[in-house]
Order: sequence, then C-alpha cells, then structure tokens
Amino acid sequence: MAKKIGVYVCECGTNIADNVDIDRVIETVSPLRDVELVEKYRLLCSEDGKEFLKQSIQEHGLTHLVVAACSPKQHELTFMNICEAAGLNPYLFQMINIREQCAWVTLDKEEATGKAIRQIKAAIARVRYHNPLEKKEMDVCPDVLVVGGGIAGIKASQLLASPDRKVYLAEKTSYLGGKVKGFDKLFTNMESGSALIEQELKKLQGNENIEVLTDTEVEQILGFFGNFEARVIKKAENEELNLSVGAVVLATGFDLLDPAGLSQYGYGELDDVCTSMEFEAMNIPGGATGGKVLLKNGKPPKSVAIIHCVGREEKGYCSRVCCLYSFKFARMLKSQLPEVKVSHFYSDLCIPGKSYQKFYEETKGLGIEFVRAGKTKVAQNGKGMAVKYETERGQEGESATDMVILVSAMEPSSDTNKLAQLLGIPLDDEGFLAREHQLLAPVDSSVSGVFVVGCAQGPQNISESIVQSEAAAGKILSSLVPGRKLELEVRTSEISETFCSGCKTCISVCPYSAITFDEARGIAVVNEALCHGCGACAAACPSGAASLKGFTFTQIYEEIATLVR
Amino acid sequence: MKNNEHSTPVLVIGAGIAGIEASLLLANSGRKVYLVEKASYFGGNVIKFEEVFPNMECATCMIAPKQQELLQNENIELLTLSQVQAVQGSAGDFTVKVKKKARYVDLENCIGCSACFEPCPVEIDNEFEQGFSKRKAIYIPCAGALPNVPAIDTENCLRFKGEDCQLCQEACMFEAIDYTQQDEELELKVGAILVATGFKSLDLSKTNRYGYRKFSNVYSDIEIERICASNGPTQGQIVLRDGETPKSVAIIHCVGREEKGYCSSVCCMSSIKLAHFLKKKLPEVKITQFYSDLCIPGRTYQRFYEEVRESGVDFIRARVNEVAEQGKELAIKYKTEDSKENTLNVDMLILAPALEPEADSDKLAEMLSIPQGDGGFFTEEKPDLDSSVGTLKDGIFVAGCIQGPKDIPDTVAQAEAAVGRILSLSR
Repeated sequence: MAKKIGVYVCECGTNIADNVDIDRVIETVSPLRDVELVEKYRLLCSEDGKEFLKQSIQEHGLTHLVVAACSPKQHELTFMNICEAAGLNPYLFQMINIREQCAWVTLDKEEATGKAIRQIKAAIARVRYHNPLEKKEMDVCPDVLVVGGGIAGIKASQLLASPDRKVYLAEKTSYLGGKVKGFDKLFTNMESGSALIEQELKKLQGNENIEVLTDTEVEQILGFFGNFEARVIKKAENEELNLSVGAVVLATGFDLLDPAGLSQYGYGELDDVCTSMEFEAMNIPGGATGGKVLLKNGKPPKSVAIIHCVGREEKGYCSRVCCLYSFKFARMLKSQLPEVKVSHFYSDLCIPGKSYQKFYEETKGLGIEFVRAGKTKVAQNGKGMAVKYETERGQEGESATDMVILVSAMEPSSDTNKLAQLLGIPLDDEGFLAREHQLLAPVDSSVSGVFVVGCAQGPQNISESIVQSEAAAGKILSSLVPGRKLELEVRTSEISETFCSGCKTCISVCPYSAITFDEARGIAVVNEALCHGCGACAAACPSGAASLKGFTFTQIYEEIATLVR
Repeated sequence: MKNNEHSTPVLVIGAGIAGIEASLLLANSGRKVYLVEKASYFGGNVIKFEEVFPNMECATCMIAPKQQELLQNENIELLTLSQVQAVQGSAGDFTVKVKKKARYVDLENCIGCSACFEPCPVEIDNEFEQGFSKRKAIYIPCAGALPNVPAIDTENCLRFKGEDCQLCQEACMFEAIDYTQQDEELELKVGAILVATGFKSLDLSKTNRYGYRKFSNVYSDIEIERICASNGPTQGQIVLRDGETPKSVAIIHCVGREEKGYCSSVCCMSSIKLAHFLKKKLPEVKITQFYSDLCIPGRTYQRFYEEVRESGVDFIRARVNEVAEQGKELAIKYKTEDSKENTLNVDMLILAPALEPEADSDKLAEMLSIPQGDGGFFTEEKPDLDSSVGTLKDGIFVAGCIQGPKDIPDTVAQAEAAVGRILSLSR
C-alpha cells in the first residue's frame, strides 16, 4: 500500500511562528517522498486544532503522521489519542519538538528554521518505517505471597486479604510474631510486644482468605508481576506446595550483629556482658530468670552499663532504633530495680521525630546517666568489670559496672541472601535488599511485583515497619485489581529467530531478566511481560537479531542519516 | 480506566510529594481523586530543592514525570488555589466544601508562553524565591512549575485594585486571560480523606540569637536551597547578598530544637547535603558545621556523611551562643561540650531550623476533628505506633510531615501506606 505521510506544523500562537519561517518549512518538506500534505495550524492542541487534525487524517486517508510542535512531554499523548480517534494506529506517529528545541533556543530565525526543517525531514524519514504496534494485556492473579511472619508480614497480610484476593503467609519458624513477640516492653508506651502480636494474630485467625504456612521455606520463585509461581516446602510435613501469585512481599526482618567478633567488649569472656536480645529474654515473665534481671551469680546488678552503637563502625551505618530501645532498657531496669545505677555510653543520640525527645528526657529524668564516649571497651576490673572509654576532651574515662548490655547493629536476617538470589534482587552496600528507587519507590524492589518491607530493607522501628507493609499493600491493591488485566509495555524488544546465533549476550545485559534461552531451538526469547523496552539487548546483540519495536535499526539509522546529511 | 462502582472518591489535601504519590496510586486503582492544593502550582516543598540527599538527584527532575502523569490522569481532579472550608459526615460518606479561588487564566487555553509577564507593571518580591527575585502580579513562581499556567495575584494586580489595566490580557494571544472568572464553592462527596499538607520551617525572625534578618549574611536553609537552584534567583551561583562569593560558611544545626522539644529528623542530612553542594560549586570554600548530635539514621546516610566530612568539611560539636557582625564577616561565638569557648569568623551563616506543620494546620485539624500533639502535628490512631497513617477519625488518614518531621522516602512510604488502608477499606 502506498504511504501517505501527513505533516502538521503548529505555530503555537506566535511562539513558534515568530522564530521559525513556517512557510519555508512547508515549501521545503512538501516535495519529499510519500509526503501527502503539509499543513500549518495556529494551535494544534486547542479543541479546534484537535478536531482539524482528526478530520484531516481521515479525509486524506493518511498512513503516517508527523507533528512538529512543542515538547512530546507536553502533547505526545494528546496527538496519540487523536490518531486513535481517527482510526490511525498511534505508533504510526512521530512528534518533533520545534518550540523548546528550535524557536525558543535562539534569536536567529534563519538557524531556527534550518534546524526545524532538518528535524522534520528526519522524522519523515523515520516514520516511513513505523509499523503499527498493538497494546497487549495480560490476565493477572490477584493473590499474594508474603514471606516472613513478623509484625510486618502479619500487617501486610491483613490489609491484602479479601474475598477476591488470597494471601499466603509463609514463615520459616513454627510461630508467627517474629522478634516483636520476644519483647516484654516496647518503646515508647512500655506495653508488651507479645500482647501486640496476640492482638494482631486474632485478626488473622478466622480470616479464611489468609493461609498461614509456618515451618515453611521458599524454594523457588519464577515469573513476573501478575504471574509468579512460587514453590515452598512445609518442612514438618516435608510437603511441597506450588503457589500461583501476582505479587510477593518480602518481610524477612533482621538479626543483630553478634558481638563475639568484637573482642573489645569481652562478650563470651566476661560473665555479665550480654546482648540486647539476651537482656530482653531475661525480662520475659516465663523465661529462664522468671522475668528477673540477674547476674550470673544469681544476684541483681547494682549498676548496669548500656553501650550504644556496638558494631556501627564495622557496619558503616546507624541502626536507627537502638538509642530508643536502650532508653527502654533503662526504664525496665529502673522499674524492676529502683536503686540500680544505669549509665548509657553513646556517641550521638539519634532520636528523630516528634515524640522521641520527650521519651529521652523522661528517661534521663529517672536519674539515668548519659556519658558521651568514644572508643568504648569493657575490661575485667579486680573482681568486677569496668567500661573504659575516651571522653569528649580526649582523656581516658573509666566506670565500674556489674553488668553490661551491648546494643549491637541490626543486620539483614540470615536468609536475605538466599531470597535475593532466588529473585534476582540486588543487595545494597550494607547487605539489605535494595530498593528500586531510594526516594520515590521505598518499598519496591528492582523486580516488578516484588516488594521489600520492614527491616529486610534496613533498620527501622515497629511503626515504620508497619507503615512499609501497608505501603506495599497500597501498591499491590492499586495495580493488581481482581478482574482487571495488566497493560504491557508496547515498545518491547523482539529477537529474530532467523538471525539469533544463541550467543546469550542479550541475556547477560538485560537488567530485568526478561530474556531466557530456549534450549530446544537454541535461541534467546523475550518475555514481553518483563521487558521494559530499554534496548540494552538491541545495542549488545552482535548479530542484529535483537531489536526494539519503535526504535528499530532502520528507523534510527534513517533518522540520524537524514539529520546529519 | 473504569471507575469501580463500589468505590467512592477520595479527597487528598496537599499536592506535595505525598499527595502526588497517593493520588496516582488511588487513581490507577480506579478511584476518582480530588487533589486540593492551596498554591497556584503543585509539587510542594520538594520542588524547591536543587538536589536531594543522599544521591544528589535533582528533585524537580525526579518528580516532574509523576506530575505530568498526574496532570494527564483522567481520574484525578487537581484543584489548585483551593482550600477546604468544611468537612461533614463520616467514613464512607464525607461532604467537603472547598473554596476554589479564581486563577483568572484559563487552564485549557493558556500554553504557558509567559508573554503576559513582561507588560505587567507590578513588581514585587517572589515568595517562592524567598524574596531574592521579583515577580509580576501575573506569574508562575519559578521556571518549570506545574501546571505551567500563571495566576493573577489579586492583592497586587492593579486591575483588581480598581485601576484600568489590562496589559496582560492584551499580550495574551490565546484569549486565556479572563478577568470575569469567579471564586467557586465546590461541594465534594468523598469516602475517605488523606491529609498531606506537609511542613514549613520554624520562623527564624523570632529567634534573636543568630542575627537572622539583622545581619544580611545570615540565611535559612531554604533560602540557600533557592540560591543553589539552577532555576532559582541566581541561576545556581552561590553568592552573598552583595554579590560576593563566600570564602567561608558555617551551618548551625538544630535551630529551635530546644524550644520545640523534638528532633526534626532531616536537618543533619540536609545540612550535610548543603555542605556537599557548596563544596562542589566552590571547592575552596571552608565549611564548618555546628551540631549537638548527628542524627543520620538508616543504611546509606552515614556513608554520605563520611564522604562530606572527608571532602574537608569540619564538624564541631558545640552550642552557638551568639552571632555578631564584624565588618563584612560574622563572628560566631560557641562553646564546646568540654566548656571551651571559641569564636569563628565566616562570610556566610546558614541556619537549619526545626520543621513545623504547614500553616493552617490548626484550622484543618479543627475542621476534621483530629487532635494535634506537641508541636501541632496530627495525632495518629495509636500513639505507641507513632508513624501510623491512621487517625482517631475513621476514614481520615495522614501522610508526610503533617504527621511528624520526616524525609522523602518515609513520606512516600506513608502516602503508599495510606492508599493501602483506603483501598482495603471499601471491601
């Protein structure tokens, strides 16, 4: 079929017309091959202009369209919609910016006109090779797999589950509640962590849309946003389950750095040096000490030193919540042992937000000592122990103590690595699961449809973890609507079966794991549901088999060749 | 995208980064969203920042695609120059009265060519640029502001003061300027409300100690943000008010913290960011930060701090007691924690003030019957979960700095969380 290219030049009032000789543009591009007509219009984006364009496309039976106007950012979509309304495939259209890129960047009308002509010629050269592209839709599964049954996982499950959306909550241990369950008190209300968990679990129980899978490990997750296939193993029954889900929430929590590797604190060598988790355990009413804080000799301590930031230097980050839970420890000690002397050894107080300073001041008001200390060590001191440190003046300070609590850095939980590998999610420099965009996509991972919440993506408190699980729920509820199909990227990559040599170069450069290797045919295959249309494969393919729809070799070559001719 | 027949529209108050994120997610789920913004433009505080920590991304470039998407989303009705007047009803069935001020420039017809600015005879300080540059009575606050359509400031426009001036209308070739536009009273029916009205900085002119507004070389951090901005009053040239380049700069953290009684979460990082920016633009400049405690929580912030420190920025833990002017310089008297007193002379002083809820929050809190805690921030549903996006009123949620001072990722997370709560409600 003969090509009929229509070219429309917008005057943009006088914005373009003042500085681009539009009549000369029309005169110059009109004789070009396949150009059916060239028209100017005062303001193409106006209601009149849009109607004119639509009718003109139909009247002349145009096969391709070029619009030279403002930035495509502003009106590309406007004109694509007009194409559709006029019955022309919107991908048979090319927009050229002769306002911001020509009329507005020089006072020299001659130059602006020359550049406008060049750009329009290049667009005509390119659009001739445009083929219609079709929007594709995909059925999706609305169900969700939540990995990790701590507070973040529990909250995400509650929000997501509904009669038309099933949630699988997979937890590797035999119980739900994670770390929070083991906290006798939470800052700042000093209420029980296990009570909070009980309360939240009640909301899970009886919800038939949530399937709790305890003692369960995730073995494999394949697929993409809308259609994941997860294989999990129920360890107790040695049963394998295959779950179809549309999205995955990772809420695998944290571990605390083991201070045994940091010899200056004497952990494991000195009797009464404990970690924060060990101190928490002492406070559980049903625990080994019956909820009492006791030294190894069975007596209550008369003095306790709390050392902040253990392992911060080694890890290279502040763990955000330790200052606050250290204050909580001080309060727990004071309420159990009113006479006990509690001293904090810290470098900087990190108590961000509207309510924490008050909590700090109240804690300090209980007669708790705060010592600004650098290079802190714990040493044997006669029969007892002493904390040695560098004071603000650079002198050596020393303080005798019966008990030391080491407040160590938070690290990613032990199975973070495995999950990252399983899903192809990069870890950040600190070993946590990386966010897709640090600021704008705080709970998205780099794999579309996989979300990372709570301490799996970095240290945070309970409330912040809950907010993140609700955020993941928000993103899933917004995009994975039961009964609605998912629109796929139109300008995806395609690999020619004829030209592909099976070298797998494209597989290695694809940042979205969208290309797989078909062993039977010996060629690479693009999964359109995963492809974002970045073109990395097309650039890397040594045999010219990979190309990007809308940016084919011919389209780009013709465009550039015309521009520089 | 079809509207879900079971769902009700949502009102989002405040079109900063939280309001934008929440509106887009709600709209993409099929909800109708009314996004109410009191300014003539949207984007909130974030668009004032040339670069944001810790990756030094251009903030305007970062959110512009989201803004474009929002403007093109048919489910979102962006109501600029609008303020909520009254709220009645309960979750699932709120009736909201909104006053929408006339812009006097037609959003459809105007193409943002700015031809109307030049003939306007009025010239006043541009508030968006912290008074470092002038604007006309018909104006957009800065290059790149969206929607790219000016508004007429009726308080300063000669015509609205009774004079016979129509110069802007004569200059407009699209008949976009319409002096007959009227303020409107809208009545919206919504099922849920999200408050995302953001923050403002503590008013520094009320603090005497640092010489703000008294000495010309004392600046607030937001003022410096605009001086650093490439679309700002100096096109990003770092200069003092007299046009000279500063050779030494001091930044004082925690201004107003004692009075307010809380740590504003982001000032350490934003001060470190400013130092990073100044060092990049002026490699020879000497920068000193006066701080009490470094609050740089989370994974990547410490690395950023270390980088800046290694680039030659001094960090002194001290309390600044007094700032005096000595010739063109400022003498900063400070006392370190070991009680040594010292003085540092600098060319430029930057103050990092505490964050407060945006103006009019008290009125809004009253209208919505949401209690405010210390500092005026909105109280969440459970005070023990103090980042929570739920409030004590069913169907009303909060996100961003109106709930408490926080950085961009925590703000975006709260916006997304509020969407999670709202979308799970309707079932």
